[in-house]
Amino acid sequence: MILRRKTFEATVPSMAMGDIAFLLLIFIVLLARARDESHLVWQPATGTELVKPANRNASVVIDKQNVTYLNGRAIPVESLGAELESLLGDLPAGGRTVLFKVHKDVIAEFFEPAIEAVSEAGGELHHVLEPASNRTLAP
Amino acid sequence: MRGQTTRSPVKLGRPKYLVETPTSAMNDIAFILIVFFLVCASVEPENGRSQVIPRSDKNEKAEASQSTEVGLTPATVTIDGTPYREEEFTPRIRQLLAQKKTEAERVVVLKSQADVPYEHWITMTGIIERAGGIVTLLLEEEQTVNLN
Repeated sequence: MILRRKTFEATVPSMAMGDIAFLLLIFIVLLARARDESHLVWQPATGTELVKPANRNASVVIDKQNVTYLNGRAIPVESLGAELESLLGDLPAGGRTVLFKVHKDVIAEFFEPAIEAVSEAGGELHHVLEPASNRTLAP
Repeated sequence: MRGQTTRSPVKLGRPKYLVETPTSAMNDIAFILIVFFLVCASVEPENGRSQVIPRSDKNEKAEASQSTEVGLTPATVTIDGTPYREEEFTPRIRQLLAQKKTEAERVVVLKSQADVPYEHWITMTGIIERAGGIVTLLLEEEQTVNLN
């Protein structure tokens, strides 16, 4: 009499794979949100003959509340120059682009010192604007 | 009563069709949706205008040479102290800068009042740059003096 061995199925349980993938994605999304500037409230000024920057090494935002941010992090204007210098380092000319996003109603008292800081750090300013025709006129 | 058969009614069950929603593709759909939202969230406006602002040491040289001074207030714009309307400003600055030959001469010193909004500032500097000018800023410096 021949007794056959029982065969066991050895499969990877794939039921939880979807949940694991979801959790991973949520984790990555949260990490990405911590870095971006989508939480900052600012409305671009209008302009004409707009171009895309060749590269972007840093981003300076001045929001509706006149608060200055460097790469999404609030920073006093006095230390903006030094922080930018360390960020840009010895990058060659043409590769030191600093995106400058200022809310359209911010006054010179707040944005001019930031422009000066970028200039002192050797950054190449790129004002982020919106095409003039896109703006809907307020009633 | 032989030969008489009792017939019980036959119940015919309705055929059972598959009514469950197929869920095997749900993961793929969810993935594609999340990727779509991620891409949407990461697209930020970057179009704009590049501007070269010379460093302070160049500003000092520019100030020493015969550079044009533009004054900005929220409502007015002046060239070397003379006020102009916006429509007059463009031809006047073009005319002035057309006479300048060297880069140092084309430097325009911009002196803005503290309450000039960014939108006005960017419009005016755009006009100056399109006319061939190189914008430099004239900022008021704050100094703290300790009196003993």
